[in-house]
Amino acid sequence: MHDNERMTEHDNQAGGRLTRTILKFAAVCRAGGLRVSTAEVIDCTRQLGWIDLAEEPEFRAVLRTNFAKSRRDQGRFDRLYRLFFREPGGAQHANGDTAAPETLNEAAAETLIERALQAVDSDDPLNQSLIDFLRGAPESFLTALRRLESREERAASGMKSNLGQLSGRLEILLAINRLDAAIGGAAGGGIGAGSGDQTGNQAGGPNRGVQPHPDQTRTRQDERISGAAARTLANRLDTARRMLSEDTRPDNEALKRVNTHEARYGDIGEKPLSGLTPDELIRMQAIIDRLVRKLRDRAGRRFSAASRGPLDVRKTLRHANRFQGIPVMLQYRRRPPKKAKIVALCDVSGSVWSTARFMLHILHSLQACFSAVTSFAFIRETTDITEIFEKHDAGAAVERVLASGSIGFGTPTDYGEVFHQFRRDHLHLLDRRTTLIIVGDGRSNYHHPREEALAAIREKCRRIIWLNPEPEAFWHTGDSEMYTYRAYCHETRVCRNLNQLVDFVEELVV
Amino acid sequence: MEFESIEDTRRKLEAAGYIASREIATVVFLAASANKPILVEGPAGSGKTELARALSACMNRERIRLQCYEGLDEAKALYEWEYAKQLLYTQMIREKINDLISEADSIADAVERIAQQEDAFFSERFLLARPLLQAISADQPTVLLIDEIDKADPEFEAFLLELLSEFQVSIPELGIRKARHIPMVILTSNNYRDMSDALKRRCLHLYIDYPYPELEARIVRLKLPGIEERLALKIIDVINRIRSLDLKKRPCISETIDWAHALKVLQISEITPDALSDTLNVICKYKSDAQTVRNAADRILN
Repeated sequence: MHDNERMTEHDNQAGGRLTRTILKFAAVCRAGGLRVSTAEVIDCTRQLGWIDLAEEPEFRAVLRTNFAKSRRDQGRFDRLYRLFFREPGGAQHANGDTAAPETLNEAAAETLIERALQAVDSDDPLNQSLIDFLRGAPESFLTALRRLESREERAASGMKSNLGQLSGRLEILLAINRLDAAIGGAAGGGIGAGSGDQTGNQAGGPNRGVQPHPDQTRTRQDERISGAAARTLANRLDTARRMLSEDTRPDNEALKRVNTHEARYGDIGEKPLSGLTPDELIRMQAIIDRLVRKLRDRAGRRFSAASRGPLDVRKTLRHANRFQGIPVMLQYRRRPPKKAKIVALCDVSGSVWSTARFMLHILHSLQACFSAVTSFAFIRETTDITEIFEKHDAGAAVERVLASGSIGFGTPTDYGEVFHQFRRDHLHLLDRRTTLIIVGDGRSNYHHPREEALAAIREKCRRIIWLNPEPEAFWHTGDSEMYTYRAYCHETRVCRNLNQLVDFVEELVV
Repeated sequence: MEFESIEDTRRKLEAAGYIASREIATVVFLAASANKPILVEGPAGSGKTELARALSACMNRERIRLQCYEGLDEAKALYEWEYAKQLLYTQMIREKINDLISEADSIADAVERIAQQEDAFFSERFLLARPLLQAISADQPTVLLIDEIDKADPEFEAFLLELLSEFQVSIPELGIRKARHIPMVILTSNNYRDMSDALKRRCLHLYIDYPYPELEARIVRLKLPGIEERLALKIIDVINRIRSLDLKKRPCISETIDWAHALKVLQISEITPDALSDTLNVICKYKSDAQTVRNAADRILN
């Protein structure tokens, strides 16, 4: 399609450089957690040949369309792109022309790095990855950052906290600071005893007009380059620092946040679920039962309309006997209904004690409404309560769950542990048809949130919907990890009264 | 090649009534040059389907649309044997079949003779082409819009893979059908669920966001020529404020256009709280959303 014959030797070289840059950037993307396949790199490189590389937005659009294939990844891609092509450290400019002074600068920077290396422990992998980062190869640093995110607590039981993650960050931060100091020292010490200031030598500075000695000019020149190199390196380290504190959670813009609802049941509908009297609880149960029946009917109707399958030859021929073997009436096969599966996880701990009872009621009605519901209750460990729900009707089942000893009442909730366990033991329950409903306030008692477990769970299921009995204003106050987990949910809802619940259940069916 | 450059793409799309941002133009240009499908994501009403319409208009191609829904299967999307017609033909040519087997001396022989004629019944004549097969077997190149792919089942997604990468489909009775012309494929998704990696890998990705105000103003002017400049800007301003509210469904560009239309038809040139309240059902699709906007009307209009 494209006139290859016009490609000169020069173009070829430029193409080679471009390919190398793209390959390097792909490696950085992978280290940063994007899934980039070889096929995508090939596509991207080919497509770059068709556009004007001097136009940066277009260059960026090509890379983005190939490397970030969902909205969730775009935020991460943008960060990596900025790091690689825009930051002083990345210094990989799209057009690829590196001016001579910059090369000189690079050489000086290299000398500084060499000198700084003597000051720090160069065998330490962390220092090594920082040095690589300074040299413009941020992969190992990015990997270290990612490891930090998915770090698992060593202690499997007993008191846990997310301090491990924090101390990990601190460790990296200290390493950066040490390296920063070492580079500062190298730049200052290497120039000679005379010049105390390492960075104050601007081009043409205070000694303009004075005709310096040629030898002196040379030193001045070196000094200037060295100072500039030190500044460049310091900037790069600043970038590393910023990346350390940056929020790397995926941008979850597709998240559906529902906080509004239709006010249907006037008096009882708006009352917080935790404050219902036994009398109201019974009334509410009746409303839910009615709702469940209605929804079941609706699902049934929809099924009969949409379930016409392929021709049923056997049946058609049988009917044809009535008309002397002429198949006047065609018979179609009916498909068994494809049922949406639901897995529900319900927090029954003390912090949601007032609503836990109600949440269990929700689960029970869900189970009545859908055919394949697996329910778990949890505080620190998950307990399968499906069977209890199947055998007993709502009130009795809830009492049984709350009375059962295996749940471990009295221990603090640990969402991280629960998700981790769920991933380990129950992941097979999830498939592309399953909706995972999590009911809870997301208050994890300052335990490590283990969001990567939830991310892995998300990969396996169709949707994650989080129902939170707290009003949204309280999310992320105190020990609530709601904002952390929100990045991995498809939908978050406040569910604290009957109207909100009815809204939710109806939408779930539709 | 259909488009010469990114700028050319942008111009042609605009001539077809679609104002594309630079990113959109770039991705469309790449897709047309590389014959790759585009996976378009974005909030409902941001112009995903409209992009396919504009593409078919400016490339002068027929647009074939496949609306996805839960339970969509091959028979609805790809092809189906026309059983009724087959049975009817069998009845009509019964005599002929009788002739054919009358000379057979054993049942096995008769079956053999009928089997030889099998091709007659499983041929193009009895094949009912559904959108996907139509798109690849059309005489002219087409634009194939696979709308709301996220609503279809994961199985269907898997089955699309062959079509999207090889541009061919296999029909067991007839063999592999290769595309005569490679269609321009647009897949749209509302992010109801995540697409599989395999599908994503075969597509170029494009995210269409809420347009920034200047772009939106240009779009409104294009769709409603002759609208008062002051009114257009006010509309965009109000819509942007409404978007910042906590709504079930935030208004998108299509709602902006509908609203501007409504105001034009009602000859309202000044947006007052009453005017907003009267025309609110164009912007908000839920009763509760409308209520939220009404409550905040003073804040929105000032």
